[in-house]
Amino acid sequence: MPSPRPDRSPPPQEDTDLERLLALVARGDQDAFETLYDKLSGPAYGLVRKVLRDPAQSEEVTQEVMLEVWRAASRFDPARGSATTWTLTIAHRRAVDRVRSETAASEREQRSAPFPFSVDDVAETVEASMDAEQVRRCLEGLTELQREAITLAYYGGFTYPQVATKLEVALGTVKTRIRDGLMRLGNCLGRSS
Amino acid sequence: MRLFSRRVHEFAGAYALDALDDAERERFERHLARCPSCADDVRRMTSTATALAMAVAAEPPPGLKARVLAAAAETPQLPPLPSAAARRRHGRHVTRSAWFPRLAVGVAAVGVAAAVVLAVLTVSTQNRLNTVQAQNQALAAVLAAPDAQVATANSSTGGSATVVLSYAEQKMIFTSTGLAPLPNNKVYELWLLSTGSARSAGLLPAPTDGKTAPVLAAGLTSADKVGVTVEPAGGTSSPTTTPILVMTLPD
Repeated sequence: MPSPRPDRSPPPQEDTDLERLLALVARGDQDAFETLYDKLSGPAYGLVRKVLRDPAQSEEVTQEVMLEVWRAASRFDPARGSATTWTLTIAHRRAVDRVRSETAASEREQRSAPFPFSVDDVAETVEASMDAEQVRRCLEGLTELQREAITLAYYGGFTYPQVATKLEVALGTVKTRIRDGLMRLGNCLGRSS
Repeated sequence: MRLFSRRVHEFAGAYALDALDDAERERFERHLARCPSCADDVRRMTSTATALAMAVAAEPPPGLKARVLAAAAETPQLPPLPSAAARRRHGRHVTRSAWFPRLAVGVAAVGVAAAVVLAVLTVSTQNRLNTVQAQNQALAAVLAAPDAQVATANSSTGGSATVVLSYAEQKMIFTSTGLAPLPNNKVYELWLLSTGSARSAGLLPAPTDGKTAPVLAAGLTSADKVGVTVEPAGGTSSPTTTPILVMTLPD
């Protein structure tokens, strides 16, 4: 039975196209890779910059991410998620690895907390605006603790023990709030099965 | 360890957000491999994280694209891993098939292999060499598969095609010779056809001396036929013309 899918980007059709492109990329098709770059570099760069903050480092990591997509395209498994999810998982992992290897931990402490959103945090491209509005609305539907735990972990790149310290709650509490919050967020976004 | 196993479900959210440290991540991934319901949770929550990412999309710096494309042209690609399903199929196939028919196919495959390698070398240029090497590994995996088989068919407009396929690898290598030349705004597109569906398997490259370089297609099943149609340059997502070639594949 099809679950209701509210308007959001990328729609299922686009993901199918991206998967087809990725299959071509896996065979060394450089034209397909250029098209894929045009579609996914914006979300990848935005996410990396959200986590790293520094534009120069973000550009460097985004380049690594897109090259990893090229290099490992044959390892993409559609059974485990869409091409967009695969790419953005690589992007997030790379950004987090970079942020955690940073020696200047004090510098990170001074960064502003990733929530609440300010207007310029979201919707920097027209395509993203629909998602941004919906995500913001759905995040507001979570409890404060769920929302803070999720945004600190995902946008801030913090491990859940670091999140627990920042929020002054028990480790187990953070784990379950992240999990419950993501489930609820998924339901709100219409992504649950 | 026992305690971890019981509570491991709770880690799915933190895992989906990359909020585990390296040791916990590895431990959770080992668990994930034998916990289908955890994998399902992770899939859903990772998809939700994707929405969080899409919400902060931003215009990348203008010079980045040219640098990425140039670097990609110099970067070799990883060959595909055989999927778990392919390995299972593979095991079944080996126990079932007699050695004699495979030997006959092996001899034919060697001939095709020589043609494939020659064609690859012919089309390669210096800046594409890395790409070609990566593709060669993928081609070699099909050619070396114990269940590799060969099939050929003629085109209704002249020329013919030869395919080496492996159901265990779920892949085929398609080559053609003597297909009718096309105007610049048309292209030959390759399809995997099964009842009620046509999946694009890529475009045939421009021929050299009448032969097209091998095209590797993944996702092959024994229910498929192989088809070729003439399409507008750039290809289409479903066939718009009658196939000029349809090949029935061996069991």
